[in-house]
Amino acid sequence: MKRTTLFQTAALIVAGVLVALVANAFASRDRKLAVVGTYPNALKVPAREIPVATPTPTSPVASVPTTTTEAPATATTQPAATAAIETASLNPAVKKAVTPTTTAAPTPQPQPAPPSQSQFLPHPDKPYVEIGYADVKALHSKNALFLDARRTSVYEQGHIPGARTYSVWESDIEDKVRKLFDERSDPSEQAKAIVIYCSGGDCEDSHMLAQKLWGIQFNNIYVYKDGFPDWQQRGGAVHTGANP
Amino acid sequence: MKRLLAHPWLTIRVQLALGAIFVIAALPKIADPPSFAHMIYNYRLVPSSLINISALVMPWVELLAGLALLLGVWKAAARNVVGIMLAVFIIAISINLARDNAIDCGCFNVADRGKTHEQRIFDMKVDVFRDLGMLLMVGQLWYAAKREETTAKAG
Repeated sequence: MKRTTLFQTAALIVAGVLVALVANAFASRDRKLAVVGTYPNALKVPAREIPVATPTPTSPVASVPTTTTEAPATATTQPAATAAIETASLNPAVKKAVTPTTTAAPTPQPQPAPPSQSQFLPHPDKPYVEIGYADVKALHSKNALFLDARRTSVYEQGHIPGARTYSVWESDIEDKVRKLFDERSDPSEQAKAIVIYCSGGDCEDSHMLAQKLWGIQFNNIYVYKDGFPDWQQRGGAVHTGANP
Repeated sequence: MKRLLAHPWLTIRVQLALGAIFVIAALPKIADPPSFAHMIYNYRLVPSSLINISALVMPWVELLAGLALLLGVWKAAARNVVGIMLAVFIIAISINLARDNAIDCGCFNVADRGKTHEQRIFDMKVDVFRDLGMLLMVGQLWYAAKREETTAKAG
């Protein structure tokens, strides 16, 4: 390769770097990227989830059972396990609702009483616990803090009422996390339930945000496994615009 | 055949087509760097600390190389950059195909299109073939330039 060509190739790349940095410096808040990001699972290929065929729910309470989480990939300053909860039955009312009955004729499922906030106990040994619609609905009615991990532009098109926008891909995420920590720096505040959601399916943004919050001592975090599409599909209230 | 392959009529069209493709591909990524960073993350090949900087720089390099081809300036350099990028894309998609990690390639669109695993795997195969086709176009440009150089030396 000629020396001139090599020089021009390098110049093209250097020009690209410079223009990119300048463009990023002047980008709007939701388009800006931190030059160095932190993504704990960047090199870890996710295990494929085989979709299980489930019957269409007859009522909003027949939700997907909750599941446990995998171990976090990052080292954190969390204390040892003290109060892990049984994640497979967070909401006994839900469990009751999905139990098959022997009745031949289909009967409408009774509306279960929402679980009390005390059922959603802190779980310092796990960054998050995945929950389904019924648990999310119960926490929503108890005014738990909801965080929307999707992009701000998507959040503005529709979100769970009261949810704050916390996109892990936008440059201000660390500031927002710090602000939340300042707001809830008291240990009793940190034990309050926080629900995080994104788009469901293979969306990992809510899990990433949960790990960030767990890393700064928040120990009662729930990830809405099926995310906003499920919330919409089940008729949950939707709020549009930039405000929670 | 060799003469036809290196014919200026073909070369200029290939050059313009490649340039246009790279400019078109760069624009959505420049418009939304966080979404492109997410796409790069999904490949699970780039270390955490390099994801954002790659998402910021790659589209601009793509754009500049595309513009250089369209305008006919620094053609050899632009051809090199485009060739290297295509080779990287082919390798990256192929690795993920081999390990059954279904992803959106993020080549022309950075929005999550909610496809199924099977749809994504199919699209990834199509993407590899498309990129191989474009690599052949780069090969044509390289061959034409080489032939032109040889002819000039002989003449």
